[in-house]
Amino acid sequence: MAERKFIGFANYINIFTNNPFFWRSIWNTALFMIGYIPLIIILGLLLAVVLFNIPQCKRLFQTLNLLPYITTPVAIGIIFSFIFDWSNGLLNRLLIAFHVIPDGVNWLGIGTLARIVVILLIFWRNLGYYLMIYLAGLTGIPAELNEAAIVDGASKPQIFFHITLPFLRPITLFLVVTSIIGGFQLFDEPYLLFSGGMASNGLQIVGGPDRACLTTVWYFFDTAFHSTTKLGLGSAISYGLFMVILVFSIFSLKIFTGKEER
Amino acid sequence: MKKVLYLIPIVLFTLISVLPFYVIIMMATHSTAEIFSGLVIKPGNYFLENMKTIFINKFQYCYLNSVIVSVVSTVVSVLISALTGFALSKYRFKLKKFFFLFILATMMIPGQIGMIGYVMEMKAMALSNTLMPLILVWCSNAFGVFFMTQFIGETVPDEVIESARLDGCGEFGIFTRIVLPFSKPAMATLATLIFLWSWNNFLLPLVTVYNKELYTIPLGIQALQNTYVVDFGARGAGLAFAVVPILILFCLGSKNFIKGLTAGAVKG
Repeated sequence: MAERKFIGFANYINIFTNNPFFWRSIWNTALFMIGYIPLIIILGLLLAVVLFNIPQCKRLFQTLNLLPYITTPVAIGIIFSFIFDWSNGLLNRLLIAFHVIPDGVNWLGIGTLARIVVILLIFWRNLGYYLMIYLAGLTGIPAELNEAAIVDGASKPQIFFHITLPFLRPITLFLVVTSIIGGFQLFDEPYLLFSGGMASNGLQIVGGPDRACLTTVWYFFDTAFHSTTKLGLGSAISYGLFMVILVFSIFSLKIFTGKEER
Repeated sequence: MKKVLYLIPIVLFTLISVLPFYVIIMMATHSTAEIFSGLVIKPGNYFLENMKTIFINKFQYCYLNSVIVSVVSTVVSVLISALTGFALSKYRFKLKKFFFLFILATMMIPGQIGMIGYVMEMKAMALSNTLMPLILVWCSNAFGVFFMTQFIGETVPDEVIESARLDGCGEFGIFTRIVLPFSKPAMATLATLIFLWSWNNFLLPLVTVYNKELYTIPLGIQALQNTYVVDFGARGAGLAFAVVPILILFCLGSKNFIKGLTAGAVKG
């Protein structure tokens, strides 16, 4: 290690004012979250309600849907790179075989498409988890409450909106906050997605095409340990990330508790 | 009839969940030429050849390393969490509240913040490029301490501890004979979670382990991609070999796993 020099807050000033990659990585991860959190919450909840009504097959489907969540994220990144590869990927071959498109689409080579693939990947990996948590929450709703509502002549949608949803609010809050915290720390899957493709020659583009999928942790890893060994800047990135996470968690907590007061 | 209608969306999403695993297993049973010549839907007979290829490259050692790291981490972490949880819930001492809040606060901080410091610390202790950094990181598991403190505080009755003390049981005896049996379910839950987290950990081994003999499964999977750039059969076999046994294990113990995974969410 070279000699040390005290530079005050220079690294922090750097990342917050004139470092394009830091904000870009925060923006990318925020985009991923905007892309998947609302959808996965709605779908997870709906599937949980459906599965709750067929208790005979609950365990089986719960287990099968959780398989992606249990799998090593590294493996998921590679599996998706197999599926979405440009020249030999499964999806392109299927689409060509069924004459949907004349030529393969470069899913992982175009910024916007690559982002969608990452969103699909997170979605695929986590849906079973959301389903499981909501199922557990549904089990916690007292059965008398639903029965009383039925006796009083409430319709199914009424029960859903006036009993089920309010009861599940703390769980939704938990899921949103943990998704934001976990989402900002995304690294394994995109990192492997752009390194293990079928046409890959071992070369990896940091952050995917146009750095459209550069996550903050990836940028941190790349700065501190990979392309460069700027430990100071790396530390600043990680603290910057922490501050962003803190702001977003407090923000989402405020939104939810604000709703409750009404 | 209505039930069947209910089943349709569930079955659809379950298929989507499972399909990629099917693809990988099918890839593992074909040679690369077969994979490239068409869609592989039925299992082939090239599985043993593919396995031979990855075993030449000593991929099985990753398994051994991962098992060592995960098992030791789990045992050590659960024990330390239980001990700390016992102290924080059943003893009165100065600054107890401060310690508890401090541990809670560290739970909120993302792991990457400490990483640079941790790597330098391991270097200073001459532990880098061993498996120790991957185990030691679980010794101070804030979530585990919080979880055990809550559980022991709620379930172990003070009277039982008091009467054991009157009967002449030592403090450590109280821990091993009373607290541990009482908190078995919580320990099982915590063990499940820590095993899963340490098994899947990627970033930390990536920056602390350089030696190929010490690679854990996630590093091994990554290395496999770079070693067999063109041999997709072997890459598929490696992935299947790394992923499928854990999934089978999960299916067998899914009841406990699901209990463990939901424990933190639904209670908190």
